Amino acid sequence: MPETLLTVLTSIAWPVAIALAWTAGEVAYRLLSLPRISSYGVAGVVMAANQGGFLANPSGGPVTLLAHFAFALILFELGYRVNLRWLRVNPWLGATSVVEAASSFAAVLMLAVAFGVALVPALLLSALAMSTSPAAVLRVANEVRSSGQVTERLLHLTAFNCVLSVLTFKAVVGYWVLASAGSAFEAVWESLVVVAVSAGIGGVFGLAVPWLLRQIGDVERNATIAFAVAALLLTALTHALTFSPLLAALAFGLVARHRRVILSQAQSNFGTLGDLLTVLLFVFVAASLDWRPAPTSIGLALAVVVVRLAVKTLAATAFAHLSGVSWRKGALTGLAMTPMSVLVIVLLEQTRYLKLYALDQVAGLAMIVLLLEVIGPLITQRALIWAGEARQLENR
Amino acid sequence: MPLATFKASEALTIGIELELQLVNWTNFDLAGSAGDILHLLEGKQFPGDIKPEITESMIEIATHVHHRHDQLLQQLQSIRDALVTAGDRLNVAVCGGGTHPFQRWSEQRISARPRFIQLSSLYGYLAKQFTVFGQHIHIGCASADESLYLLHALNRYLPHFIALSASSPFYQGVDTRFDSARLNSVFAFPLSGRAPLIFDWQEFEHDYFAKMEKTGVVESMKDFYWDIRPKPEYGTIELRVCDTPLTVERAAALTAYLQALCRMLLQRDDIAPVEDDYLVYNYNRFQACRFGLDGVLVHPKSNQSLLLRDDILTTLRQLTPHAAALGSESALERLHREVACEGNHASFLRQQFREAGSVQGMVDAAVTLFRLGRKK
Repeated sequence: MPETLLTVLTSIAWPVAIALAWTAGEVAYRLLSLPRISSYGVAGVVMAANQGGFLANPSGGPVTLLAHFAFALILFELGYRVNLRWLRVNPWLGATSVVEAASSFAAVLMLAVAFGVALVPALLLSALAMSTSPAAVLRVANEVRSSGQVTERLLHLTAFNCVLSVLTFKAVVGYWVLASAGSAFEAVWESLVVVAVSAGIGGVFGLAVPWLLRQIGDVERNATIAFAVAALLLTALTHALTFSPLLAALAFGLVARHRRVILSQAQSNFGTLGDLLTVLLFVFVAASLDWRPAPTSIGLALAVVVVRLAVKTLAATAFAHLSGVSWRKGALTGLAMTPMSVLVIVLLEQTRYLKLYALDQVAGLAMIVLLLEVIGPLITQRALIWAGEARQLENR
Repeated sequence: MPLATFKASEALTIGIELELQLVNWTNFDLAGSAGDILHLLEGKQFPGDIKPEITESMIEIATHVHHRHDQLLQQLQSIRDALVTAGDRLNVAVCGGGTHPFQRWSEQRISARPRFIQLSSLYGYLAKQFTVFGQHIHIGCASADESLYLLHALNRYLPHFIALSASSPFYQGVDTRFDSARLNSVFAFPLSGRAPLIFDWQEFEHDYFAKMEKTGVVESMKDFYWDIRPKPEYGTIELRVCDTPLTVERAAALTAYLQALCRMLLQRDDIAPVEDDYLVYNYNRFQACRFGLDGVLVHPKSNQSLLLRDDILTTLRQLTPHAAALGSESALERLHREVACEGNHASFLRQQFREAGSVQGMVDAAVTLFRLGRKK
């Protein structure tokens, strides 16, 4: 009997977790104006088995694919919002991006080395610190319905620093493979080939889906579902081939946008489907981390969070005037780039098959993720409100 | 505050204001970016005047005072080029059109200026619903009385301007079947419509304006949302029924049409306007809004039914000598082509909607058309 009960409990664990996290998100949003995703994260941490909760670590399990699908939808939307023409017209934006990402990398690397972290984990940590969480910024920007320069720049810089972060991360993995296994072929495969093929597959989807849509007709009604279905297929495909679903989804969105099939405004976030999967994604991320060793590395974690925030804010502020916004809006853009958790976890999750247990090796990472999971979205939300670009919360 | 003294200006000088849309390049919805654009242009040389409007997704540009159509057009083109360049630096698209076809008024942000906040609290949703985009044409008048005469003499021609400029067929996501849905938003305001029939400025000032002011309903001419109103500070009359066209070229051509028309009316060959002319005024205005160039007008003097398109073509012929005198033949030829062959911008937009299959595609086309002919 107890065994049957256990099976039942295990099988309803995720639905229960999603229901609880969603409820917590709504309540905290109503009462405290807290971004919903912050609450999903907190709920995930509390419910995770590592903290004595009922939710087993989902890494590698069937929920993983769903979480990756959720993330692919977000990356698709982010890629879709990126206007590459803007880089050409306003090169200072590109400069901001390169400088903020590169200096985040350098600063965190120096910090990690100073804290006595070994070289490879330190490199991985720095590569991850370049990125801003696309899920967090997109969800928060959509939640407060913001529009304006801080919002636009935030989304563009996030897309760029994610790409830079993934590229750097793959390069470090390549280096690590070369150093530990001594196989040049595997090293090149893990870095260059994976990156190129993943982006290529995404690009092909970006060409094929708009074409298919035009053949079917009724683009306005069909676009959202067609892109969602394609994102699901793309995730499963790249996952099975052990390529990078992240780069593929981003490239898919980017190419689809420039094919000028237009997603209607009502369907941003992929509607209800996106909302549901976001709850799952954030609970997944929080639950897949083991926080227990975290407190020991709190010093490094705090230092990384502060330094990264300072570097991003400084870089965005430094180029503010040159790229056509006020110092204030520049600084707020940098501040809004604080969140970093989801990309990090998903990226690490994908290197699991390499037996590269970076999460365990990279001291302090879990703590950083924990801190930024909750605080990051809140900072982004505040930055958008301070910039006067939010529509939703202004009357509260 | 008493009515400002009418500052007489040189007769038949021209100038315009255009309210333009700021649009997001990704989803083609309105983008609250006026503050960012104004900040970018602050302290820079701008080839005209630029200011914020009631919601953050609108921006208003204005030309200087001109004598000729070609000068006006040249300035408008420079303004357009400068504005488009500024928009590009901030990833914001700029376009014309009387309405944004699918924006939700409830989502617009009111600009943080005292007058706009005050209007917003007075008019409630009307203020946000007023996220519509018009062209205001000023014509210089040599005297205050002349301005009042012109204002009323134009009553019969008003539908021409509505039909020619109409560029707001869609509103809140649907085809309204109107060519100018924008004007329906304007009519919702309590002080919209026509000015009272008074020809003498003294009388207008003391018997009408002073009384209205005493009621506490108005403080200045700004509170009247009339189709045509005098603007004593500038010494002009201001025609306010036009939708912002999709191109500055058409905006300039409409101005040239009004200028030539005023020149003709000032010769006073027609019978002077009387109160009974206004019996058909609202009906004619509706015809022009609803059907555009295919509307049917009732002539206020003869009560004869006229196809709007034919009436404009006839008027354009009558204006030939005036256009020649003012140097605006090319502009009137442009309008002739529009009326006789191409149709107005409302029909262009409907065509785009059919081709693209979405309202977003329609805005995309409007953005592209606005940028056309831009110097790099």
